[in-house]
Amino acid sequence: MKDNVKSGALTEVTFFILLALYEPKHGYAIMQFIDEKTGGRLVLGAGSLYGALNTLTDKGWIEPYGESGGRTKEYVITDEGRRIAEKELQRLRELTDTAAQIMGK
Amino acid sequence: MSMVKWRFFAGFLNSQAKWLNAMAAKGYRLTETGKLKYVFEGCEPGKYVYTVEYVGDRSFEEEENYKAFLEDMGYRVFYKNMNLDYSLGKVAFRPWADPGGKISTQRTTFNRELLIVEKEDDGTPFDLHTEAEDRIEYYKRRSYPWYYAVFLALLLGIIYWPNPFETALCGGLALLFALPVIIVELKIRKIRRETKLEE
Repeated sequence: MKDNVKSGALTEVTFFILLALYEPKHGYAIMQFIDEKTGGRLVLGAGSLYGALNTLTDKGWIEPYGESGGRTKEYVITDEGRRIAEKELQRLRELTDTAAQIMGK
Repeated sequence: MSMVKWRFFAGFLNSQAKWLNAMAAKGYRLTETGKLKYVFEGCEPGKYVYTVEYVGDRSFEEEENYKAFLEDMGYRVFYKNMNLDYSLGKVAFRPWADPGGKISTQRTTFNRELLIVEKEDDGTPFDLHTEAEDRIEYYKRRSYPWYYAVFLALLLGIIYWPNPFETALCGGLALLFALPVIIVELKIRKIRRETKLEE
């Protein structure tokens, strides 16, 4: 996943995974969340999701949630992850504000 | 009523998936895999779709984690061997693999190079890798063993240097092993091009 750290721009998938994990979820629920919120526009393969979860865990933006005793592994966003997601919201707001000004909408 | 079929697809993952999908379309659902053996049971034609995934470079723990993750997704997952080897107590060295997967034994990752993944057909394509970066990563992982094979063939060619026949043979093998590397490289370039076009 190529998240541009300098400009703060996240890939859509990264942003959606972070948003999904404001509440703890396991893989299947994350997939359902993305499907539901995008009306099926963004389709994420299970292998890609698995890779993304590992990458985001390594970055410290998300972490495993609860005891790993159960077979279904849940994840939740970390404080660092929240900070990144809020920065992205800020960036997108500025972008849409600029666009709205110029386009007069 | 179960049916047994004997097939061997080696590293041809797409052919294996195609065949399994054709079987499913005819109403046969996979229930068990052996080295060459596939066991099917009757099912509603077209109810299931299959894909085949290379996991031969992962450590045993990683393979098990990934398999469990896919099963949580509601998929059925089978291990499958990519090579034929009937020796006992085999140990293989896989320099291209992740840490923990470099030494492969029959207790761990040996003969578990592939996963056959089954889902109920919901009309959407069955792609495990949808993100450009992830697809590139996956293709790269699949080509590492071939880089290693090219390297070994070239090394042998150098060792046999004064013998024209052996050297030519090794050179030929190196070229043959380079084919998958080139195909993968072309695929990666195509993905890069497409991703740029979309931006």
